[in-house]
Amino acid sequence: MTVMSPSLRDTWIDRASATLERYAEPLLRGVVTRLVKARMPPPTEELTDRLFATLSNPPVVDRRIRELPEAPRKLLALIGLSHRPDWKVGHLITLLASIGHAEGFGPILHLLQTGLLFPQVAPDAPEITDFEAWLGSAGMLHAKVFALPQVAGRARGEPLGLPDLSQPLSDDAFPSSPVPRFADGLDWPLRLALVWQQVLTMPMRLTQANTLFKRDLGRLQADEVLTTPAADQLAPLPDLGVLAVFWAHATGLLTLKDGELTAAPFPASWGTNLTPTLTELWAGLTALESWDPLIGYDPSEESLSATPSAFFLALLLMSHSAEDQWVTPAAIADWLWEHHPSWSGTIPTAAAAERGHSGIEAFLLGVAYPLQLIEVLPCPDASPLVRLTELGWHLLRGGPAPTPAPAFPQTLLVQPNAEILAYRQGLTPELIGRLSRFAHWKILGPACTLELTADHTYYGLESGLTLAGIIQTLNQHGMKPVPAAVADLLQRWANKRERISVFGSATLVEFQTPADLEAAIARGIVSIRVTDRIGLTDDGREPDFKQLRLIGNRDYEAKPQQCVSVEDDGLTLLIDSALADLLLEAEIVRFADPIPGDPPGLRRFLLTPESLSRAQAEGMSQDDLEAWFSARAGCPLPPAARLFLQGRTLHPWQSTPLLVVQAPSEEMGNGLYQWPATRQWITQRLGPTAFAIAPEQLPQLQAALAEIGVTVTHSEAEHHPDRLITSR
Amino acid sequence: MQPAIRLPAKLHRRVCLVLTEDAVLAEELLARKKLAVDVLGRLTDRALLVRPGRVEAVLEELRKMGHTPSVIGKSV
Repeated sequence: MTVMSPSLRDTWIDRASATLERYAEPLLRGVVTRLVKARMPPPTEELTDRLFATLSNPPVVDRRIRELPEAPRKLLALIGLSHRPDWKVGHLITLLASIGHAEGFGPILHLLQTGLLFPQVAPDAPEITDFEAWLGSAGMLHAKVFALPQVAGRARGEPLGLPDLSQPLSDDAFPSSPVPRFADGLDWPLRLALVWQQVLTMPMRLTQANTLFKRDLGRLQADEVLTTPAADQLAPLPDLGVLAVFWAHATGLLTLKDGELTAAPFPASWGTNLTPTLTELWAGLTALESWDPLIGYDPSEESLSATPSAFFLALLLMSHSAEDQWVTPAAIADWLWEHHPSWSGTIPTAAAAERGHSGIEAFLLGVAYPLQLIEVLPCPDASPLVRLTELGWHLLRGGPAPTPAPAFPQTLLVQPNAEILAYRQGLTPELIGRLSRFAHWKILGPACTLELTADHTYYGLESGLTLAGIIQTLNQHGMKPVPAAVADLLQRWANKRERISVFGSATLVEFQTPADLEAAIARGIVSIRVTDRIGLTDDGREPDFKQLRLIGNRDYEAKPQQCVSVEDDGLTLLIDSALADLLLEAEIVRFADPIPGDPPGLRRFLLTPESLSRAQAEGMSQDDLEAWFSARAGCPLPPAARLFLQGRTLHPWQSTPLLVVQAPSEEMGNGLYQWPATRQWITQRLGPTAFAIAPEQLPQLQAALAEIGVTVTHSEAEHHPDRLITSR
Repeated sequence: MQPAIRLPAKLHRRVCLVLTEDAVLAEELLARKKLAVDVLGRLTDRALLVRPGRVEAVLEELRKMGHTPSVIGKSV
């Protein structure tokens, strides 16, 4: 039996748990009652726990499987043998129909109602009150269901009733000196790693129907490395690149989000042992719909593809022959031709004439053989014979897991021209995955070639590798140490990356004083100094709050607020620290200088002639400043600042000696300013009672006022209410 | 031993930021028109604040310029 990793089990249990939350209470109670078969009905709040407790109890699960009618039992066995928990309903119905159970949705509904199968629903899906209604709303044949791996796995041994297709072969058909061919199993992991690398450097968009755009299809079809025939190719396949893309997606190497395929981290199954990787690829293979071994890329938006069910059955048929017996692909094709409800209708005309023999042969020799599921016995003048390998028996009949191949850790040769020769016998999925992160696959063959480049070194570092880690991998698996020139080259490329850091969503920590920032760095709260008071952690995430007393919290994406007040001098700007945002820090230093020596928590800036000149030199106009003061301080640019900005552009200011005539009251002053006889001698009215006159005009003014009996004295000390006084 | 004093601090969250090795490099970036339009302000001579939602565009432009920026906060 394949051992399922605990994390994978948990993933499916979590998914089942989320699904159960969408069940209406009566539906859930009905499912739990049928599965648990308790004497006393469990309370509502315990229904889910009781269901999972039962599904985690192997003897009870075995009993429930034995109690199932034949068709649902076989259905659960098929899911278990596929090693893929989730299936489209249409494919399951097709599989059952092929093995003699044309009972439609019945077996699926039975498993849903007994809690051995779950509908796949979106988190925001409406409540499920009835499974038949759910099937209708979820697209019938396109609806998806899943079984927990630990449940489906226990049904793998259930008999499927498939025939033994092995036949005693005549001596003419059997080669005189039989030498079966056995693949190393690395071809598909290598090809999928290559496509992963290509998507990493250039994400691939899919259409709304999840099909390829023409440009990407052309790129995949023309790619020389992706379409290279396998090292020991037995049958050519069309559109290898397309197959690799969709297969990589089916196995989780690529993820689809918002219509874009992007590279995901290599799964844990890509370790030093090949078996878990090939098991996962086998599971993914049964999910492929857009590719056919005769047609190549074959997307269909409407109908269900026959590929997943037909090729799964092909291998299941092989698993029902005696272990050391050979089968002809033709026998398998003939059986499928007669039993599969839709496969024969999808075969191109030329292949249909020979009942799809060529399609099955292409699949077995081109896909299953490199995947190490089958071994092949070439026959002169006849089609080759096939049988399952140890891995095939392990996956499809529960045989023991194959013994891992002996390890050859030193399998790389790093050459001075920065190329790496990788000999296949030492490659493991783990090493393939690691190399794919920092070296470019150039040639796939008996010995593969990779190239170290600046770009791929960068991608490797971006994926979390370190330079030391890259060199360590090359040395650890190298037949010789990494040449010094190559190590220097890697060092240079890595250094280049350190020159610019981009934080997409960082948390910056603003302290009240530079001393606080120093203390925070010393205590490891932050590690990068951004300004003299602002720091951040090396990964840009939130700091340790236990060491901080939060006095404010700003969202960078929130709208900027008014957070500045202007003091009476028109030049001192006081910052409201609680409302201030980061942009303010960047903006204000362009035209004002921080006032040193303020106590912690008080932030003030000063407008000076120099600071405003600096702003003008940097291209900041008075209009820009007006807009800034309006937005940030809610007031116009202070006059003192205008003086600084405009003063130098005005004509020279004049300085003239003048006398000031003081009227005894505003009323008298108004009269003085209104009467033309006196007004003509006034240079400027300075205020309600003060008037400036030129010293030489004083006698004329005195004369005019004398006519109405007003005396203007020219004294600084004397004051008389009915006299005007002038003073300098 | 006395527990360390909790330092008063204000947090600025979800900040899009470019840090350069030196001021000259920051100048070089700001001289690139397509990149400069996505820079909201210059926090220091080597810290540039990026317009929210424009980090991918800035990264693309940096790569077009031949730089290999270290992107903090994502891993493959």
